[in-house]
Amino acid sequence: MPIIKKNNPTLAVVLEPESPRDLKELMAELEQASPTVRRSAVRELSEFEDSAEILIDRLKHDKDPSVRDAILTSLIRLGNSFAVIGLVECLRSEDAALRNEVIEAMKQLPEKVAPIMGDLLSDKDSDMRIYAVNILESLHHLQVETWLDGVIEHDTHVNVCATAVDLLGEVGTPASRTALNHLKARFPDEPYICFAVDLALKRIGED
Amino acid sequence: MEKITISEDDFQKFREFFYRKVGIQFENSKRYFVDKRLIERIVQTGAKNFRDYFTMLRFEASGQELQKLVNVMTVNETYFFREEYQFKCLVNSILQEIIQHKTDKQPIRIWSVPSSSGEEAYSIVIYLLEHWPAIAQWDVEIISSDIDSDIIDSAQRGHYSSRSVQYLPTTLLIKYFKASADGYQISEEIRSNVEFTCVNLMDVAQMRAYRNFDVIFCRNLLIYFDDMSRRLASETFFDALKPGGFVCLGHSESMSRISSLFRVRKFPEAIVYQKPGVDL
Repeated sequence: MPIIKKNNPTLAVVLEPESPRDLKELMAELEQASPTVRRSAVRELSEFEDSAEILIDRLKHDKDPSVRDAILTSLIRLGNSFAVIGLVECLRSEDAALRNEVIEAMKQLPEKVAPIMGDLLSDKDSDMRIYAVNILESLHHLQVETWLDGVIEHDTHVNVCATAVDLLGEVGTPASRTALNHLKARFPDEPYICFAVDLALKRIGED
Repeated sequence: MEKITISEDDFQKFREFFYRKVGIQFENSKRYFVDKRLIERIVQTGAKNFRDYFTMLRFEASGQELQKLVNVMTVNETYFFREEYQFKCLVNSILQEIIQHKTDKQPIRIWSVPSSSGEEAYSIVIYLLEHWPAIAQWDVEIISSDIDSDIIDSAQRGHYSSRSVQYLPTTLLIKYFKASADGYQISEEIRSNVEFTCVNLMDVAQMRAYRNFDVIFCRNLLIYFDDMSRRLASETFFDALKPGGFVCLGHSESMSRISSLFRVRKFPEAIVYQKPGVDL
């Protein structure tokens, strides 16, 4: 019989997990050149309730995709108000890649994002309002349609409304019909809005 | 209240749907098993009949009912040579690529998780012995892990029902098993080639010890996880693999929907996921 050998020294390592490290040690590892070491530190930092600010700071300037991915996972895992506040702060960044990563991360925190969704949707910056609608795209929350109806009823910016109406075409129910018709009346001279509303109404009707 | 029944057409429709979603094929002989559990779920969800239930199952956005159904249909559902095409991929494609790029003489390390009662890990051993001639030149280390310590004990004992070995060719059953009054005992030579460990994939500190694997088999586990747990598991696999290492997932699972860190590799036998070859 050919040999399939167990390598006992390696297995001994497997069977004896290392003990967790302290915050100071992990912070020092975040400065290491090796992405593998930084990833490892980032993942363990998710065990520390107060590590959100450290992780957000790292997310803003670490260029390695595997480290960034681990940071976002750790922030989602932490899921506390500091993590959410830090993610919102990143939404205001000029870095489009960072913004997209943050939007994806926030979609995975429906219960934590829900309490601040009203503020995001009424932010004075229309881009922020569009990002908020982007988060709603696959946020597993019962209020998604209500939030979107609110946007198309009240938001004054045509691009924010256009983003919301596109999404309502996918997730809307007959309950959104009134708001959709109001939107068309609010922007009668915007051909895209009229087109998108008609399409959304048609899709909702078909459902 | 109307008595709920599952017709032949219902069974066929459900069987096809379930196979597509979960990768488990129910034979006609499983009809009683399937019908009983389906009717239980129909009653518990308050659906009027199979048709209503099936419509809800297919279109429910959250997937919660599908998850419940999977749980009742797949309790300990594992067997030797399950999804055999991936073992073919291992010996015909994955290992060939690994040895082509290997620069050291360290053993090739394979991790099978969750181990359940050991069928997957032992299938890998048998497949290597039977279908990978290069086993004569290479050492292979196989570790299999599960969160359930009772099931690990069972895996280590290596005693199986006739159902577990039903897809094994008779020649292999004779070669590697000994029949007993209540099933089949796997041979000591196969048993001794797998190291079983108890782990929790969600325990980051514990997972730090799991490194330098060339191949990870993690099939039909992620379907039980929510988005967060899937994401954590993908991080664990990324760290556990050597650069260029492979992850084999179950029939209905996709790493692309969980993480962008892995490359999709389409081999003739299967689609698998690869950690990029350099430490980025």
